[in-house]
Amino acid sequence: MSIIETHNLTKTYGRIEALKGVSLRVEKGQIYGLLGQNGAGKTTLIKILLGLVRLTEGAATLLGQPAGTVGVRRRVGYLPEDHQFPHYHTAYSLMDFYGSLYGVPASVRRRKIPETLELVGIAGRMHSKIKTYSKGMKQRLGIAQALMHDPELIILDEPTDGVDPMGRKEIRELMATLKQSGHTIFLNSHLLGEVEMICDRVAILQRGQLVREGTIAELTQQKGLYVLRLAEGQSFPVEAVTQRGYTVRSLAEPPGAVEIAMSDGQTIDPVIQLLVERGLSLRHLVEQKQTLEDVFMKTVEAAEPGVDRQRRRGAARPVGGGN
Amino acid sequence: MQSFFAILKDSFREAVDGFVIYVMLGLSSVVILVVASMSFMPAEPGPALEAIVQRFSLTFPDKGRSRVISASFENRYAATEVKPEGDGYRLRLKVTANGSRANEPDKPPQGDSFRRTVAAWLKQPGRTVKMSDLAGKQQQSGPGGSGSPPPEIEFSLNQEATLDEQRAVTNADMEEFLRHQFAIHAGLTATVQRLPADEPQYEFDVTTSGGSAVRGWPHTMKMFFGTVTVSEDVNLGTVLWIIEDQIINGVGGAVALLIGLIITAFFIPNMLRKGSIDLLLCKPIGRAQLLIYKYIGGLTFVFLITSFTVGGIWLAIGLRSGHWDLRFLAVIPLLTFTFAIVYAVSTLVAVVTRSPIAAMIVSIGFMLFLYIVGQVKTIFDRLRLEERSDTMPAWVFTLVDALNNWLPRYKDLDKLTSKLIADGTLTEAERRTFGLASIEYPSWESTIAVTLAFIALMLALACVRMVRRDY
Ligand SMILES: Nc1ncnc2c1ncn2[C@@H]1O[C@H](COP(=O)(O)OP(=O)(O)OP(=O)(O)O)[C@@H](O)[C@H]1O
Ligand SMILES: [Mg+2]
Repeated sequence: MSIIETHNLTKTYGRIEALKGVSLRVEKGQIYGLLGQNGAGKTTLIKILLGLVRLTEGAATLLGQPAGTVGVRRRVGYLPEDHQFPHYHTAYSLMDFYGSLYGVPASVRRRKIPETLELVGIAGRMHSKIKTYSKGMKQRLGIAQALMHDPELIILDEPTDGVDPMGRKEIRELMATLKQSGHTIFLNSHLLGEVEMICDRVAILQRGQLVREGTIAELTQQKGLYVLRLAEGQSFPVEAVTQRGYTVRSLAEPPGAVEIAMSDGQTIDPVIQLLVERGLSLRHLVEQKQTLEDVFMKTVEAAEPGVDRQRRRGAARPVGGGN
Repeated sequence: MQSFFAILKDSFREAVDGFVIYVMLGLSSVVILVVASMSFMPAEPGPALEAIVQRFSLTFPDKGRSRVISASFENRYAATEVKPEGDGYRLRLKVTANGSRANEPDKPPQGDSFRRTVAAWLKQPGRTVKMSDLAGKQQQSGPGGSGSPPPEIEFSLNQEATLDEQRAVTNADMEEFLRHQFAIHAGLTATVQRLPADEPQYEFDVTTSGGSAVRGWPHTMKMFFGTVTVSEDVNLGTVLWIIEDQIINGVGGAVALLIGLIITAFFIPNMLRKGSIDLLLCKPIGRAQLLIYKYIGGLTFVFLITSFTVGGIWLAIGLRSGHWDLRFLAVIPLLTFTFAIVYAVSTLVAVVTRSPIAAMIVSIGFMLFLYIVGQVKTIFDRLRLEERSDTMPAWVFTLVDALNNWLPRYKDLDKLTSKLIADGTLTEAERRTFGLASIEYPSWESTIAVTLAFIALMLALACVRMVRRDY
């Protein structure tokens, strides 16, 4: 049984098509990342899963039950984006309130609340009013409230939004621990570096459509691209290598370096052998990998842009370039 | 149930977060303190009973069954030789009547003002005049008690009785008359026996029970812990009625409703705010349930404020005057119920617009509207009764009746509450002279049923909207 399964999920808000037939599947114990530009439909998808928004077409199940039912919500923890906690609560009283809505018994709440707040690092301030918290503290509280009833599935909409680098690292570690104890995590994020570090699988949404989906390794792997550089003063035998069927391109950075691309079935070994035979000394050899960010950029650029081209032009880093 | 109490607690937390509630509790405390500063000293039995018998000039014909008020100032009443007996007092009541002829021994009585008063009391009222018509035309009223009751106080100006009727008045009639006067003017239970005396002088041996602990007993009332004497001769019940009905249920109730509406108008829009609602809707609780719980949270808030104020005043009154009447406490649920009407409207507006200001304006406007409909209905009822309906087109009447029938009975609830309070404080004579006995009271059942139906409709609409919406 998949933890999350959507089939041809479609949502229209009046004339806006937020989701156009999204089908995905999240298995138990995975950390699953959903990526996409602003307005791609990530939040909409999550809201449908939780029953906050009604789907227009298609189907979605959570933990084997139809998404959005009261029963299934009991087994899910959720951190919404842009959440506003009631300002009259303290972290403790808020957790207590939500805990009782989840049906957590009072004795368990008394024990779990400080424990969970400790996990996210705000236990020291748990009796101050939320209105006195910083943005990152509120975000940490948001994560804590999604965890306290020990849900099987945790859905986080931009969990590290507003959290400092140390805090982000702590949250990543927390997610890893949760994963180890068998929880499934589904998250939206724009911080691709983080997603790459933590997620098992990712999906990229583009204007309501799923454009790529797979494990991190599957998405970022790039067969047969190496960068190498010879010792100072030596020149690369471009012609000889090209004759053996490799594509060679010299790079500006670092000076004297070349990029060698090979076609299927080829390896880098004959090139190295050739260099040795010619008495050249190899100083630098790296297999070129692409980052998730590269994948994202390529994917998104290939597809239709989600936001106006006009406004994006000239921006150093378009959407998702935060990391 | 756990989630129900969790939401109640949350609403409570929200309410006590603002300063308005503290201002409100502060005001309530001041009122409670002022009431607690009052002191009531029962008058000495001699002067007290003397004061009570002076009220006997007002009579209610047909042995008190008629609502018409009649007065005769020709008889002079005096309470003499007052002394304690049993749990009450014994006294000699002397009546000096106005007689045109002197009586002769062994002849039938010649008639006098006292016999005329008693004879008139025994029968139905004759010519009557309405309060509003006192200056103008006089009307012939039908027999009292039949048909729909007059909405106004009526007076019978002349107590008329023929000589034969006067002669027919027996000692037992006089005794019954006086017993009735003690009961209706002071709430006193008395036994009365006529003693021999020459007419137009009458003497009666009266024994009362219950001492000074009756509604009509005159009291000296002081305020601010005895520093200010308000009155030296006032019925305890009258003062309590003014405090309970006029001040607390009337002015206090309106203020409580208004401030309650203002504070609670924020509850639901705040819950529905973007960023907040997601946090609640993702919890395992149905939307309709959530909304109803939140609604009940608002009611509980007003219930607590009202309980604090009314309970505090009830306690202060009880401690200071010894008058522990549970009927006043009925103001708490009744005021909360009245609030439930307008808060249901507020809830619907809040769900539709998500704006606290809109919820506030519409619900307060609705409260005013109900009040106006209640007033107009009262006026139209009078027009109809006086057969002046032709001054308006018929559809206007139909409209007013329909509005009154289908809208929640805001005004009726208020009338019923006032009646409860009056029943618990005033003497029967006061209720009649204040015109409270001549109001046509609606039934509890229909008032509550129509109101509940209205609340249910508002909440159902609000739930449907809430459940259908994408958040
Ligand atoms: N309540 C709504 N009414 C109308 N349109 C909506 C509503 N909510 C979202 N949309 C539209 O649906 C599309 C998808 O929005 P969504 O919030 O899912 O994007 P997102 O991927 O979460 O973006 P972001 O990264 O900025 O959070 C957008 O075009 C948005 O304008
Ligand atoms: Mg979003």
